[in-house]
Amino acid sequence: MADNTTTLLRFGKFHRLGHTFTIISFFGLVLTGMPLVFKDYAWGQWLYGAMGGYPAAGNIHRLCALLTFVAAFLHFAYLAYESLIKKDRGMFWGPDSLLIQPKDVLHILGDILWFFRLGKRPKFERFIYWEKFEYLSLMWGTLVMAVTGYILWFPVQATRLVPVSVASYIDLPSIALVAHRYEALLAAGFIFSIHFLHTHMLPENMPTDEAMFTGKIDEAHVKHERGAYYERMKEEGQLEGLRVKPSSPMAKFVSRMMGVPLLTIGLLMVGFMLSSVICSLASLFMDLIKDLNIDIFSIFAF
Amino acid sequence: MVSLSKTTTEVFKDSKICKLVIISCFISCLIFISSFSSNSLFAQENSDCMECHADPAEVASKVRVDHVTGEVEIVTMVVDEEEYHASAHGGEDFYCIDCHSDLEDSEGEHYPNLQPVDCVTFCHDDPAATFLEGSHASLMQEKGVQLPTCKYCHTGQKSKMNTPRADNLEHRGDTIEKCGGCHEKYYRSYRNNLHGQVTAMGYVGLDIATCVDCHGQHTILNSADPESTLGPEKAKETCGKCHPGAGNSFVKHVAHPAYKDVGYYKSALIALKNIRKDPAEIKSIVKSPQTLLTVLFVAYVGLLVVTFAQFGTHMLLSWLGSILDDRKENKSDHG
Repeated sequence: MADNTTTLLRFGKFHRLGHTFTIISFFGLVLTGMPLVFKDYAWGQWLYGAMGGYPAAGNIHRLCALLTFVAAFLHFAYLAYESLIKKDRGMFWGPDSLLIQPKDVLHILGDILWFFRLGKRPKFERFIYWEKFEYLSLMWGTLVMAVTGYILWFPVQATRLVPVSVASYIDLPSIALVAHRYEALLAAGFIFSIHFLHTHMLPENMPTDEAMFTGKIDEAHVKHERGAYYERMKEEGQLEGLRVKPSSPMAKFVSRMMGVPLLTIGLLMVGFMLSSVICSLASLFMDLIKDLNIDIFSIFAF
Repeated sequence: MVSLSKTTTEVFKDSKICKLVIISCFISCLIFISSFSSNSLFAQENSDCMECHADPAEVASKVRVDHVTGEVEIVTMVVDEEEYHASAHGGEDFYCIDCHSDLEDSEGEHYPNLQPVDCVTFCHDDPAATFLEGSHASLMQEKGVQLPTCKYCHTGQKSKMNTPRADNLEHRGDTIEKCGGCHEKYYRSYRNNLHGQVTAMGYVGLDIATCVDCHGQHTILNSADPESTLGPEKAKETCGKCHPGAGNSFVKHVAHPAYKDVGYYKSALIALKNIRKDPAEIKSIVKSPQTLLTVLFVAYVGLLVVTFAQFGTHMLLSWLGSILDDRKENKSDHG
């Protein structure tokens, strides 16, 4: 095997472009939106000011939202093109699909056994079950954030859709605010902790998984991480078609230069968020026990 | 006596003297009237006051006794001219003694602790009257709470004397805190809504609602009152100031969401306990639009907890697993 054939193509240009769009828009959205949730904390106020304050930060937020729609549109256009025009149903069912398959249930059970050292790790397919969860939660999250975001962007127009008799029970802008805020906490917390630690900062691809930036992955890595996929490709003879030239040191360097600052920002954000949530919970706890008068010295009365 | 009256009529027959008397009468009348309309004719100029009040060595620390509460405090009486001119009373035709009228005609050093300024009698009788008519003031009187003076709200950031203009940002921000000082529950729930989130960051421009933008400035009526700015008739107009085209559904907005308020849950639990005695109470709590928000909030908190607990555990275990696997492989390689 020649030196330049140990690298496989994992993500095409289209998917990398989509991921880059998502990165830019997601970071813009989180950096301008999250301070509003943590408005009582100095870091939130500082960050909001650093992003331009009111109303500039809001406008950045809306621009980034539009970029998210572009990315989502590209994604669904791709899905439609592949499934309707190319008649490729592999995306919805089968080993190449990003949707949950029956085999994934087995993988989850196998992985649980492996956690407790009761068996070997199952050999994964092209997409591992947690990646599928991440993908599906991204789809769900984008949908929720888009709908609620539009309601918050155009509250007057949105409430016109609700008849007056219902509006006294269902207040769309308030509901949208609650959903938007906590879905954002869920999404940002998930991406900045679980996604970062699960894909990028795994012991084997510290600090970043460059596959999403360069599109290429070492053959040994695939074999180790996604055994079933590797064997299937080998059997079907598609392995040769996936072979590409290894990424140049320059490309690796550039992707690290992109990835590491983003990772740092994200981890800092999640650190701030987590510590603020803990602070808020502590103050809630203090609020709750404020009215309780526990006289510790009363034990001496006995 | 007769001779006296005779001489008087004789004098008045002399037209020169008559003219003199009439003119001098007229002038003294003019002076008298002008002293009513404006004090400027006899008055000290502002520069007379500023001789001392611009000098920190003279007036930087003075004792002030509050006329209402009797509190004693040390205050600075230095007047920052720039800030004074930026304030609501900083225009060209305002003189210090217009408001501090007890200093009229005084020269040099004056006695400390002047009379409180009367904002109402000559200038601001309108807002004062509407303030006293509002249910806010009458309720406070009923409960025996000290009514705030004008200066309680209309106070400058650095010095009380610089009455801020209505669009002064610091004044707008300060108003939220002043209202929130008493209405703590509503302050917290306001901060939980979008308007309050942005104003909490210090952005209190005219395009983001503070308390007074919705509840009115001086005539503060309970929002349940149909006459209030949030009454069914007027709410559309009030919301429409910022949200043009606000409709009937729009004005049902829950501006004070209670789902983060411990008291809201407590009152719901108490109502649930008393469901046999008073079923109407729990009904009214459940029927309000807050219910859906609360359910959604609780569901999201649950979702957050479950997601992070589950994926956090998963991540830790898979990290641990792959490290153990690596170690095993290395051992078998060497062994």
